[in-house]
Amino acid sequence: MDCPDKPGNDDRYECPLMTITLYDFELSGNCYKLRLLMNILNLPYEIVPVDFFPGRQHKADWFLRMNPFGQLPVLKDDDLTLSDSGAILAYLAKKYDTSGKWFPDDPAVTAEVLRWHSVADDITSTSSAARLALGYGYAFDIEKSQKGAHRIFRLMDEHLWFGEKSGRDWLCSPAHPTTADIACFPYVMLSEEGGISRQDYPALRRWTDRVRRVPGFTVMSGIFPAGRAKE
Amino acid sequence: MPLSLSDPTWYPIASSEDLPFRHVYQGQLLGRELAVWRADDGNVNVWENRCLHRGVRLSIGINEGQELKCQYHGWRYANQSAGCTYIPAHPADAPARRIENRKYPVKEAFGLIWSAANDDQKFAPFAGAESTDWFPLRPMPVNAAPEDVLAGLARLAPDDQPADLLPGMALRLGTTVYFVQPVDAGRSVIRGLIEKPADEVATLRHYNETLTKLRDRLERAAAKKPAPEPLQPVFEKVSADLASMPDIAIPRGNTMPVVVKRKWQSADGVIGFELADRDGKHLPTFQPGAHIDVHLPNGLIRQYSITNGPGDLSSYVIGVKQESASKGGSKVLVETVREGDVLAISEPRNNFPLRRDATRTVLIAGGIGITPLLSMARFLDKSSLNYELHYFARTGDGLAFQSELAALHGKVDRHIGLAREAIKAKVAEVLGQYQFANHVYICGPGAMLEMVQETAASLGWPDDAIHFEYFQNDKVIDSSSAFDVELARSAMTLHVPAGKTILETMREAGLTVPSSCEQGACGTCLTTVMEGEVDHQDVYLNKTEKASNTCMMTCVSRAKSGRLVLDI
Ligand SMILES: N[C@@H](CCC(=O)N[C@@H](CS)C(=O)NCC(=O)O)C(=O)O
Repeated sequence: MDCPDKPGNDDRYECPLMTITLYDFELSGNCYKLRLLMNILNLPYEIVPVDFFPGRQHKADWFLRMNPFGQLPVLKDDDLTLSDSGAILAYLAKKYDTSGKWFPDDPAVTAEVLRWHSVADDITSTSSAARLALGYGYAFDIEKSQKGAHRIFRLMDEHLWFGEKSGRDWLCSPAHPTTADIACFPYVMLSEEGGISRQDYPALRRWTDRVRRVPGFTVMSGIFPAGRAKE
Repeated sequence: MPLSLSDPTWYPIASSEDLPFRHVYQGQLLGRELAVWRADDGNVNVWENRCLHRGVRLSIGINEGQELKCQYHGWRYANQSAGCTYIPAHPADAPARRIENRKYPVKEAFGLIWSAANDDQKFAPFAGAESTDWFPLRPMPVNAAPEDVLAGLARLAPDDQPADLLPGMALRLGTTVYFVQPVDAGRSVIRGLIEKPADEVATLRHYNETLTKLRDRLERAAAKKPAPEPLQPVFEKVSADLASMPDIAIPRGNTMPVVVKRKWQSADGVIGFELADRDGKHLPTFQPGAHIDVHLPNGLIRQYSITNGPGDLSSYVIGVKQESASKGGSKVLVETVREGDVLAISEPRNNFPLRRDATRTVLIAGGIGITPLLSMARFLDKSSLNYELHYFARTGDGLAFQSELAALHGKVDRHIGLAREAIKAKVAEVLGQYQFANHVYICGPGAMLEMVQETAASLGWPDDAIHFEYFQNDKVIDSSSAFDVELARSAMTLHVPAGKTILETMREAGLTVPSSCEQGACGTCLTTVMEGEVDHQDVYLNKTEKASNTCMMTCVSRAKSGRLVLDI
């Protein structure tokens, strides 16, 4: 595999030790979660594109050998092979985030973060399902998926609205974002592609501004950067 | 009663706290989607939630503080006026002034943002509004018809104390006032105001619980009924023609009155004037580099650049040079016009458009030439674009707009008291060899403009990267030639005798043609030349434009050939 840091064909250039490989589909919000955290943590990684659509490579034998569940993303760190975006977020933060903020050690906070990782999965099975049904021809029940997403967004909006009232800007109680925010963010932002408007969720919309202003934030197709905050 | 698109009632559409700085709130009233945003000056804008270009939602755009930028193709709209200030596909042109986003009336009061479908009614606070320090509840969106939601709220009242219905889908329950925002035929938002409670969060949670239960009841009932037909507001995009057309010049005489709100000594030899609408309304959209004609009490008309930053339309600030030997232009302004006086000005016009796609922008000001460049610097500053401003002045005391310059974040260099050769050397140093997508903007005395143009050209800067604006044409106009002009569109041929301009000759023949400075500096009378050789005497066109022989300024330029054919 080519070293992404290698400029041109300069043979004298030595590739720094690259250990992390992301099996990635550019339009997948679950893969984007990992790109987002790795960008924020300034972690170098390689990408192996997997043709999720229309190629269905995540069901190919070589892929199923890495993840029998046949789902993206998969991440390899040296000999370790991991799947599930929430699990990988926790792994990357615990291993590489020297600040200890993205996946805090405190037991109560760990529980809080995992609680939202689980909400993130519910967002995938609703908002992302509606998007796959509308844009990628998947046979999911669109109306049910949209309703499910609205139910979650209502609860998130309420949680974030009362958070703002008590000075909490993020999903969990620490005064900084955690992997919970990263896990929930992509399919909230991509919901319009599944026909799910966020008009009724003003606090949720403000939270997406805050996430997009996290230093190191990066975009994917369909997710735009926010403007600068006022000084 | 069914909802009407033309219902003139004021409804709350957001809480004040829904609009932090640099955020765009997405709202809806009577079927119309709204992009609502607070500018850095505190002003709240309620606009149609569609970019005039391709209909993309502005609520996903970027609130840059004083302008809203559409996420897709970067069209920008000004705070207050909603006028389009920039179209990236035409970076060198000022957009047509008719491109203005649809805006709705707005009022911020009692912790809520209020709007209406039209201007037919004046905002009137609800009964008893002024007596209390109000505290807004968490808004509760409900997928049910507004009238059903109002009825549901009324049923919250205890039997012995029925709800007090107020005009405009509102009611009072004890000390709480509820408003139903008619989002669409089948969608509503409940907004409530209470007196400031002792324990805020606990009280808000209590109300939130009550309203959540009401919402669930209302939505269950609504699900059993056929969904009402949504309202069908119309939305019109601007035509591709208008979008790609540069601004048209406005004929002289189209003026508006403004009051001199403030007059002050900005620097030694520079007087600042702040001009505002008499009724406190905002002034028209302008773009960086734009100027206004000021009609002076003695009948003269003079051009002054607007120094304002983006979306700052509450007043225009201009700088006027205090000249001892002035021929009666600036002199009248400086000596006789006082605060409170009313002057007539034209709408802003832009002959000095700023490109916002440059990799490097160099702004060079000489003396009073700082005025348009200050505006440009403020626009670039707000958008975090890279720029440097070089301000040349004879003395330190002569540096105008110092506090405004100090507020900029970019590189601002002041060069004081340099001699002619030293200025030239400095200009060469700051310009450097031309590189792709570099642009330089120059404004100042005629001699300096020529020097900078020559210096830039010698460093490889092409004409279309060198932008300049003259205040006046110092050249002596030679009007000794006599020739014929054929006006192709008007199908007439006129003879222009020595001593008379083409413009004057056309006016005498009964044509209305726009003009402004009438000394070949402002660009208003720019005309397309179809045939003949032009004797250019203006300072508006650049060398390439003059050499192309395809356009001319009819106020001073003439013909070298016996006949000119103009596209008029
Ligand atoms: N809980 C998993 C869900 C991953 C997931 O749903 N991945 C999608 C692509 S974004 C996928 O591979 N779907 C195919 C499938 O489930 O068969 C995670 O967060 O990683």
